[in-house]
Amino acid sequence: MASSGSGYDLSSSTFSPDGRIFQIEYASKAVENAGTALGLRCRDGIVLCVEKPLVHKMLVSETTGRRIHTVDSHSGVAITGFVSDGRQIVGRARDEAANYLETYGTTIPPEVLTSRISSYVHYFTLHGALRPFGASTLVAAYDPGTKEHSLHMVEPSGVSYEYYGCSAGRGRQSARTEMEKLAINPKQGEGELIDVQEAVKQLAKIIYTLYDESKDKPFELEMSWLCEGSGWRHEGVPKDVIASAVEWAKKEIEEAEEEDDDEMEE
Amino acid sequence: MSYSTALPTHHQTHNPLTDAYHGKSAETRHLKPNELSTGTTIMAIAFSSGVVLCADSRVSTGTYIANRASDKISQLHDHIWCCRSGSAADTQALTDYVRHYLGQLAVETGRVPEVKVAAHLMRRLCYENKDNLMAGVIVGGWDPVEGGSVYNIPLGGACMSMPFAIGGSGSTYIYGLVDSEFKEGMTKEEAVALCKKAVSHAMSRDGSSGGIIRTCVVTGDGCEREYVSGNRLPYGPAGW
Amino acid sequence: MSEFTLAPTASTAAPTGFSFDLTHRNALIESSSSTSSSNIPAKLPKALKTGTTIVGLVYKNGIVLGADTRSTNDTTVADKNCQKIHYIAPNIYCCGAGTAADTEKTTDAISSQMELLRLNTHSESRVVTACTLLKRMLFRYQGYISAALILGGCDVDGPHLYQIYPHGSTGKLPFTTMGSGSLAAIAVFEEGYKDDLEEGEAVELVKRAILAGVWNDLGSGSNVDTCVIRMDGSVEHGRNCVMPNEVGELRKKVRRSDVLNMRSGTTAVLGETFRKRMGGGVTLEDVVVTEMET
Repeated sequence: MASSGSGYDLSSSTFSPDGRIFQIEYASKAVENAGTALGLRCRDGIVLCVEKPLVHKMLVSETTGRRIHTVDSHSGVAITGFVSDGRQIVGRARDEAANYLETYGTTIPPEVLTSRISSYVHYFTLHGALRPFGASTLVAAYDPGTKEHSLHMVEPSGVSYEYYGCSAGRGRQSARTEMEKLAINPKQGEGELIDVQEAVKQLAKIIYTLYDESKDKPFELEMSWLCEGSGWRHEGVPKDVIASAVEWAKKEIEEAEEEDDDEMEE
Repeated sequence: MSYSTALPTHHQTHNPLTDAYHGKSAETRHLKPNELSTGTTIMAIAFSSGVVLCADSRVSTGTYIANRASDKISQLHDHIWCCRSGSAADTQALTDYVRHYLGQLAVETGRVPEVKVAAHLMRRLCYENKDNLMAGVIVGGWDPVEGGSVYNIPLGGACMSMPFAIGGSGSTYIYGLVDSEFKEGMTKEEAVALCKKAVSHAMSRDGSSGGIIRTCVVTGDGCEREYVSGNRLPYGPAGW
Repeated sequence: MSEFTLAPTASTAAPTGFSFDLTHRNALIESSSSTSSSNIPAKLPKALKTGTTIVGLVYKNGIVLGADTRSTNDTTVADKNCQKIHYIAPNIYCCGAGTAADTEKTTDAISSQMELLRLNTHSESRVVTACTLLKRMLFRYQGYISAALILGGCDVDGPHLYQIYPHGSTGKLPFTTMGSGSLAAIAVFEEGYKDDLEEGEAVELVKRAILAGVWNDLGSGSNVDTCVIRMDGSVEHGRNCVMPNEVGELRKKVRRSDVLNMRSGTTAVLGETFRKRMGGGVTLEDVVVTEMET
């Protein structure tokens, strides 16, 4: 990197002469090397999905190092990057949600939760004594007041946007290309938007498409949803649903490969 | 870095020895000498498309009427109002706080605050400072989620949603009247008429209530403030 | 060495925390001495209170404030001509009843806040602002600041009149009275107040209301002060505009004994001595200035 050794990358409280803050860019790099995280807003809810690399063969993976966390009954987040940094954000998000409920007596609206998380993340980019978070956060939340659900993503810089579909981590580019093909944006394309059941399958397919068994570490697929079917509560997608989605995804990929092979033969 | 929305708490301890010396019991220790009290009749009714809030106008210090045309119906937000009873100073300070917090919330969320949020804030302040306050408040208003709603927050700091609520010293005289006349799903006109009738009855029996009747009708379209002057009350010495 | 060491043992160590012993002592003294003929004063001394009549009203073109000028200490008149109309801002004044020190310090504190705000915002002070600051301060002190105020002034929104009670409650009114003479004064207002009074009528009504307090209330007396605040920003002070208790002329008629009216030279001069002041002189000294080598 051009910035190394220039001295402008030592602190997030220093700008480089061309107006960049390298520490924030390095933090983003940390996320870019982590497992892929996907979020998809559907007709009837939101699905979060994270590829969790299994760093050790003897890991009890279902209970440790989780990437998807429930913030309160109507909201959940998926994190990728430095997991420990992400947990710090999760803790803060839970505090914010609980505090809002205590103060105002109603569930925190998604955009308020997101904006408070981004303020927190942004704070760590302002002081020389602090290190920016090396984690991106996907926020899925339902607003009982407006009866609407939404998906946001907070980046290490502290910026946040609302998305129909978003991705972070290693496979984010290809995942985004794949997600753009799905019927999720009501402003584009025709016909009905996909539902969460379909989204679970599609997200599994995207993760497995991006996965290269020979290069990449083995992984576990973590998935949660927040949908009409779950009573707008954030909960993990049942194991059997994930299993059948994975099975379907693998078959789809296999079939597609066979077709490719056939085409090549011709 | 602080993320909590801190609500003010007055820390004041009562010394049982000195309180006993001053002749204060648990019931009367809230009353400070010469403190203004809105010995009051207040009520609110939720009707099909909004709420009506209603109050008398008497403010008294002991036996002296400090203000005979006061306004005990205060605005908390565009479509949220409250009726105040108890210590005038305490309830004015409370409504100032709630108005402040609701304003902040409206800016942060970018939407119209709900009546239940206003009631919750009021309840929190009343409950957490109950040792230092004497305030009975009825919060009423309109929001896009629930429509018209009424919340009663009596002395201890409870908070209950109800189709109608009455409060203040004069309310004891009209429980029966309001219970028998209230119907579910009243029209605006019926609700306003019941409010005026009930409050005027309370004013005629309760020495601490009197003056004029002030009303506030809140619907999705806005708020209408009106008053009935003391010689045009539906019931009372001047009206019959 | 060791004989000077006095280490407290566990059994003799004083209990920590605030001691309420004196509270009991004071209570005991107050209750016992009122019944016996002991020399201990029955009550603790009380602060100077302005048993007062203060009034204010809104007229066609502004505000008229009024006050009496008696200040009392128990049953003694402590000041026969004190000022109870306090400055808040060039366009806002405030009458105070209650403990004199409290009304003075409270209005002083708020007037200084108002001035700073005016300098920061480059705009004229508003009466609501003063009212809010006052009510917050009084509410914070839970009634222990004994100040009952009538706040009046004119700003961009028109003339405003507020009454503020010691506990921090406020009311916005067309006319109001406060203090121990408020009952006498309100009777005058109730009888004579109309919307849109002319200035002359309004000032007369205010004078009458204060005089009602002066004559009928023991705590009020002496002279009448008024203050007119007009919509154009001008202020007219009527300090001692009515002096019904003027005793100067009467005093002059009283022949006083020569003992009280001694001419100069009455005391004989026995001798004069002048002594030079000692020490502390300044010494002047010539100093030779030497050029510095450079």
